[in-house]
Amino acid sequence: MGNKVKSIAEQLLIVANIFILFLLIFENRWVVPLWIQPIGRMHPLLLHFPIVLLLLALGMEVFRFKPENSANSFYEKFLSSFWLAGTFTAAITVVMGLFLAKEDGYAGNTLATHKWLGIATLWAGTAIYFFRKAPWYTPTLARIGAAMVAIALLLGGHYGATLTHGENFVSEPLTRNESVPLDKALVFNHVIRPILEQKCVSCHNPEKLKGELSLVNEAALLKGGKSGKLFVAGKPEISLLLQRIHLPNDDKKHMPPVGKAQLTDSEQLLLALWIKSNAMFNKKVIDLPARDSLRLVAANFFQTTESPQDNFDFDAADEETIKKLSNNDRTIAPLSLLSPALSVNLYNKAAYSPEKIQELSELKTQVVSLNLNKLPVKDGDLKAVTQFENLQKLDLNFTDITGKGLLELTGLKQLKTLNISGTKITLAELQASIGKLTNLKSMSVWNTGLTPIDIQKLQKTYKNVAFIAGFKDDGSNPIKLNTPQVKNSSMVFNQELSVKLHHPIRGVEIRYTTDGTAPDSLHSPLFTNQMVLKNSTKIRAKAFKKGWFGSDEVVFDFYKNTYQPDSISLLLPLNRVHQAAGAKSYFDRILGTFNANSPAWANNWTGVRNNDLAIYSEFKKPVLLSSVALRIMEETETGIFPPESVEVWGGNSPSQLKIIGKLKPTMPTKMRAHSLETVTCNIKPQQVSYLKIIAKPLQKIPDWHGSKGRTGLLLVDELFLN
Amino acid sequence: MSKIDKEILEHGLTFNRRRFLSTMSLGLGSVALGSLMIPNLLNGGDQDGANFVPGIPHFAPKAKRVIYLFQNGAPSQMETFDYKPKLREMVGQELPPSVRGMQRLTGMTANQASFPLAGSFTNFKQYGQSGAWISDLLPYTSKIVDDLCIVRSMYTEAINHDPALTFLQTGSQQGNRPSMGAWLSYGLGNENKNLPDFAVLLSRGIGNGQGVYSKLWTNGFLDSIHQGVQFSKGEDPVLYLRDPEGMNREERRDMLDNLASLNDLSYKEFGDPEIAAKIKQYEMAYRMQTAVPEVMDVSKEPDDVVKLYGPDCLVPGTYAANCLLARKLSENGVRFVQLYHQGWDQHGNLPFEITSQAKDVDQASAALVTDLKQRGLLDETLVIWGGEFGRTSYSQGKLTADNYGRDHHPRCFSIWMAGGGIKPGTVYGETDELGYNISRNPVHVHDFHATVLHLLGLNHEQLTFKHLGRRYRLTDVAGKVVRDIIS
Repeated sequence: MGNKVKSIAEQLLIVANIFILFLLIFENRWVVPLWIQPIGRMHPLLLHFPIVLLLLALGMEVFRFKPENSANSFYEKFLSSFWLAGTFTAAITVVMGLFLAKEDGYAGNTLATHKWLGIATLWAGTAIYFFRKAPWYTPTLARIGAAMVAIALLLGGHYGATLTHGENFVSEPLTRNESVPLDKALVFNHVIRPILEQKCVSCHNPEKLKGELSLVNEAALLKGGKSGKLFVAGKPEISLLLQRIHLPNDDKKHMPPVGKAQLTDSEQLLLALWIKSNAMFNKKVIDLPARDSLRLVAANFFQTTESPQDNFDFDAADEETIKKLSNNDRTIAPLSLLSPALSVNLYNKAAYSPEKIQELSELKTQVVSLNLNKLPVKDGDLKAVTQFENLQKLDLNFTDITGKGLLELTGLKQLKTLNISGTKITLAELQASIGKLTNLKSMSVWNTGLTPIDIQKLQKTYKNVAFIAGFKDDGSNPIKLNTPQVKNSSMVFNQELSVKLHHPIRGVEIRYTTDGTAPDSLHSPLFTNQMVLKNSTKIRAKAFKKGWFGSDEVVFDFYKNTYQPDSISLLLPLNRVHQAAGAKSYFDRILGTFNANSPAWANNWTGVRNNDLAIYSEFKKPVLLSSVALRIMEETETGIFPPESVEVWGGNSPSQLKIIGKLKPTMPTKMRAHSLETVTCNIKPQQVSYLKIIAKPLQKIPDWHGSKGRTGLLLVDELFLN
Repeated sequence: MSKIDKEILEHGLTFNRRRFLSTMSLGLGSVALGSLMIPNLLNGGDQDGANFVPGIPHFAPKAKRVIYLFQNGAPSQMETFDYKPKLREMVGQELPPSVRGMQRLTGMTANQASFPLAGSFTNFKQYGQSGAWISDLLPYTSKIVDDLCIVRSMYTEAINHDPALTFLQTGSQQGNRPSMGAWLSYGLGNENKNLPDFAVLLSRGIGNGQGVYSKLWTNGFLDSIHQGVQFSKGEDPVLYLRDPEGMNREERRDMLDNLASLNDLSYKEFGDPEIAAKIKQYEMAYRMQTAVPEVMDVSKEPDDVVKLYGPDCLVPGTYAANCLLARKLSENGVRFVQLYHQGWDQHGNLPFEITSQAKDVDQASAALVTDLKQRGLLDETLVIWGGEFGRTSYSQGKLTADNYGRDHHPRCFSIWMAGGGIKPGTVYGETDELGYNISRNPVHVHDFHATVLHLLGLNHEQLTFKHLGRRYRLTDVAGKVVRDIIS
């Protein structure tokens, strides 16, 4: 730095200091002209220069007296320039700061502290600059002076930052309040105030008071600022607060000012809704109506409504006690992680005894829910239940209790829910005790001695209790029964069969016919388990019961097969898909069902299309044969047809077989619903040891069918030889 | 020192040296980085599951149990709960391409030349206090509408059955994560120690069916004690539970005790947690031998109950019978009862098939809600009814006057929930007038899971299990509790 420049700067520094002194002495007598204001506003910009320059100068000053430094002329020259630059910029910053402080919105202790620390820094720095060459300026003095100026500088900077960013700006993320669950949140404290604190209070606080407005508490909010009251409760449309918020961003009066964090849409909405609903300060969020807009929007601000703690004020039980009393038939579980309350469930009829309840006496304070559902609980056992002074829920569904037991329970003052469905309790018994259960809110009384009229009566008298009635069949809405089922293990029998028909519903009558007519509830015979079949029979059956509509008709085909060949084989191959169990399929007593046209669902059907079905079988002893029957499927839709012809060959030696029977089944003449049929070939009774059956698939599907001209598929699942 | 001993020692030292070095170099940096990325890392927060103890809910639950009536195959919302009169007006017109947008279609309709809108063949009426529109196919459901919360704005990410089903059951489209029931078993523990926490019941209607596989009730990486147990129809509801002939209860006890001590030996040697799980399972099976026959016995159910569920509830293997069993299992403390009813995949022949499917499930589903209510159990039991996705508002295949089909549609579908802290008598969410996109309050599958867990007292972000180096949740990294449907 040239000497000339240096001396000009030194003189300017002195002038600036005198000017500052003047400004301070006549502080209340001068105003800032409008054109000067921008200079004042450059204070926050310029202040960073003196901070850095002075801190560097102070640091170097401390080491200035070290021999190697004091001998270094560059070090000295450099340091001296630093000092001058630092103090000079500090002086300008102070001037600007004094101008800025004159503007609206700066007042209070923080400003004063900041101001005097800044000025102290400047003066001390100036003094050091001019006297640091003096003989009495010792290294110790240099260090002390440097340390004090550094402290003043840093503190001044800190208070300045507090003015612009607000208090606790730095520590805020660490000290931020724990979130409050929705059910405890207040509308003002936990919804509105956080918005103001985040977006407004840095300027509108008692320290800074921009526009003479503070937004830190209820009183200040109601007081308003320079431009008047902030809002009129209930009238968002004429409220100043909302007006300022909603001005266009480039409007001078828009709040928060451009450059500061703006309010989000939902924050704006919340402020408006809050003012609209009379700007309440002490209301809880959950006390607002359920569909209230303010509540709905506010609820989004809360991560979780649930609180880990519930409202129980008793102590938790000892974990060891809970462990000791828990076993396979008695579950004891805390309601939640931090709850002292316990819920107890008892299971296993055979293991139940009243002691199972009595034994819980160590937990009598903590048990709030007890489930005795479906256990043989007697009236006397309920005495043990009354020990649970905080019991809120008791499940006695389908137990053996009566009204006498209920009387015992009247001591349970906390009881809210009582389930007695499926017990024998009557109206009179209930009326004797229910009035004493003062806290009761809900009671299930389905399937008890109470009639629907009784329940209505109860509901009228005890309006605070919800009586849950449930479904009672009064016969006014009959529904259709399902069909009877057959319980025989196979539909195929050898000599005779005792038919087992069954219906899952108690008291159902099964009526049936065997002559092909439709069964009805009046004329058809009633099925008893006495029915024995001696021949293949088609049974048509229906189920009937009073109070129900009769079922659909169901058809059961029972098949008699007298002779089982000693060996059986196929002379020609089966269709690849319809292999079933090969030749064994025909006498395995397993019948096929519909849906056979897929490899996954071959469903026990053997089938041929490209060649005849040729079955050959032998009997060790000749049998007297009078009929051969094939069980087949007919499904015109998928091209499954009855065989075109069936030939039965028989004889007493394999080389001398001759045709003993022949049949041409009738073919369907149009598309029709699928069915399972038996094709029977009757023959003149005769002894045979060897038997061959040839069934030919339909060679030409008739013209009415989509696949006309093609070969039909023949499916056979069982043979019956009689 | 033998050679092998030396090698083992060497290995241990090497391992420790390497570990020490890597910890040192990464240590400080990772602490600093970790505190940036996990907010509560340094002030003793709950990141390491300290806030979760398996078997105890985080906060007081509204529901204790769940019964999930899964309508497998995806029932059409347009014929059940999402009334779209506009579709009838516009029947046969093209679906506007602007509505479909960039929607990915399945291979079954992607090449269709035209996408004719198809209105519902069946009529709708309004029911109950909430005035919810319900189709005539569901007369029984419409009677309990004031107990239901119908969500018409569910959506999913998968477009085909298996991934969609797996997504709804496990929170992931690829199967290997634990099923919802397994998570609940892990999170809430068992109520009745004599029955499994998670039971599965299957049935099928005559409609076009889609498979269900045991991966849907898997425990995934959780302890196998949380796996779903399938109850089948017939004499042995739980397979292999019955003692062989000639073995009495004492002998079985004796055998299990000896087996347990053998297993214990190998547990001590190998420390495989699956051995401990196995011992627990044997014990559970022993207790189930008496508990299961008792709970499966429907012969003592009152006539009113039979009439309530419909006569099929006494025919094993039907949906009605499974609903009745679900109530009995739930009443006996089974946390999660999962039903699957197959046959809802109506790509074609929809009017006929859906009528039959609806008839299968309508009465029994409604009966289950009523039955729980009349026992005072509906408050603590959450019932869920729904499929894995929705169906298109345009017809798959030819649209005729009385026949059409609908393809898969992940963008919107309807489910209902009842009991267990759900706000009754509500209808949540809306779709546009063509029933193609959601117009209000969408609910993603993760949101649905978060809500169900919330009702059971579990924070879905804290119900975690560490596996292969990361913590897994049912809701993966998403999910928001739908507070508007919680009472």
